[in-house]
Formats: sequence, structure tokens, C-alpha cells
Amino acid sequence: MIGGYRGKEGQWAFMLHRISGLAILLYLLLHILSIGSIAISRDAYEAVHAVESHWLFSIGLVFVTAGVLYHALNGLRIIFMDFAGWGVKIQRELFYLVLVISAVGGLMTGVLTLGRILGWFPEA
Amino acid sequence: MIRAKRFEDAKAQATGNSELFWWVFMRISGIVLMFLVLGHIYMTFIQAPESVTASYETIVNKLDKPVWKLYDWLIMVLAGLHGVNGARYVIEDYIPSKNRRFWTKAIFYTVVGVIFVWGTIGLYTFQPAQ
Repeated sequence: MIGGYRGKEGQWAFMLHRISGLAILLYLLLHILSIGSIAISRDAYEAVHAVESHWLFSIGLVFVTAGVLYHALNGLRIIFMDFAGWGVKIQRELFYLVLVISAVGGLMTGVLTLGRILGWFPEA
Repeated sequence: MIRAKRFEDAKAQATGNSELFWWVFMRISGIVLMFLVLGHIYMTFIQAPESVTASYETIVNKLDKPVWKLYDWLIMVLAGLHGVNGARYVIEDYIPSKNRRFWTKAIFYTVVGVIFVWGTIGLYTFQPAQ
């Protein structure tokens, strides 16, 4: 149910929390499956790793990072709402703060990743 | 699923001890995961690109140290339980039919369980190629 919390921002926060959570779980499972190939052989792992080093995967990781940031920070917002009266009082402001930090963090990671793909930085 | 604003409400709303346990677990594991996962993303993706930090040599070096093995395993277990319980809330919210809900959960738990055994075996039986 999408209307778990009352209020407009609260509903968005709730929905985004669910979507990001399910997306992260899906990523976690695929991540375990692919990394686990290291137990088969070096060749198997390196074949998987070569595919995952493609720039498209790096772009994907930027979204995973933004999703994790949102889920983590909104989770903190939920905890503040659970255990403190002031958390409920300013939950709307906290939601916007969570959105801004996630967006800025995602954008910074995105620029960094794009820079790496396009070779803006000298090789480390 | 418990929809409560504070622990006292959660306690009053909980249909059983296990439901209250999961309510508390989501919060505690969430705080721990915040540090573990954001740290993991920082070390493996921000500090250096994934193509470098996930190379075979780097992984061999990393898994040679028990601390990092435990770190990765902790993320897997905590994120796994946290994620599976979250997905359970979603399943219980969106699948009204008791029978379909049961089978969805049964298949979902089985698939996730297999993946976790696979991951644990990968972490703890791994021997680097000579």
C-alpha cells in the first residue's frame, strides 16, 4: 500500500523507500551471484569481471549509489520519526533534505564516473 | 507489517513477538548497514573505479585478510535479511490471496537462500589459483 504514511511527501518517501529497497535487493543478489564466480575459477571470474567493467555497468553503479544513499538516509528519517517527537514534526523537511543529499551525492558520483569513462583524469 | 510511529505503538500493534523482532531488526540492521554499505561503495567505487577494485588480484589480496572477509559476509547477511524482510512486507501488502502469497514467499525464500549459500561458499572456500 502506497498510503502508509499520511501526507503528500510522506507517501512519496514511502514509495521511493520501497522501490529503492527492492532495487538494492535485486542488485545485491546479482552482485553475490557474479562475485561468487570466483569460487569456480580465475577464468570464470575474469570473464564476468570483463563484462562488468563495461562503462554501462559503471553508469548503473551510479544509480545504485544514489539509491543506497536515498534508502539509507530515508531510513534514518524513519528512525527519527519512530523515536523522537521532533522527527515527526520535521519529517517533511527531512524528506527534502534526504532528496537533496541523495541527488547531490548521485550527481557527484555521476560526474566522477563520467570523468573516468571520458578520461578526464590522469591515470592513477 | 507494523505501521507505527514509535516503539510503544509498534509493541501495541505487533501481532506477535516475531513481528516486533523484525520491526526492531530493520532499524538496528539499517543503522549498521548504513556504515557498512556506504563504506563498501566508497572503497570499491568512489576511491577507484570498479574495474580496478574488483580485479582478480585485488579480490585475492582482500579475501586474504579475515577482517575484510567478515566485513563482506556481514554485509551479505545483514543486507540479505533486511532486504528479504522488506520484500516480505511488499509481498504481504500486494498479494491478498493466502495461497498465492504462500507460494510466492516459498519460491522467493528458496531462491534467495540458494544465492546466499552460493555467496558464503564463494567467500569461505575460495582458494586463489596458483
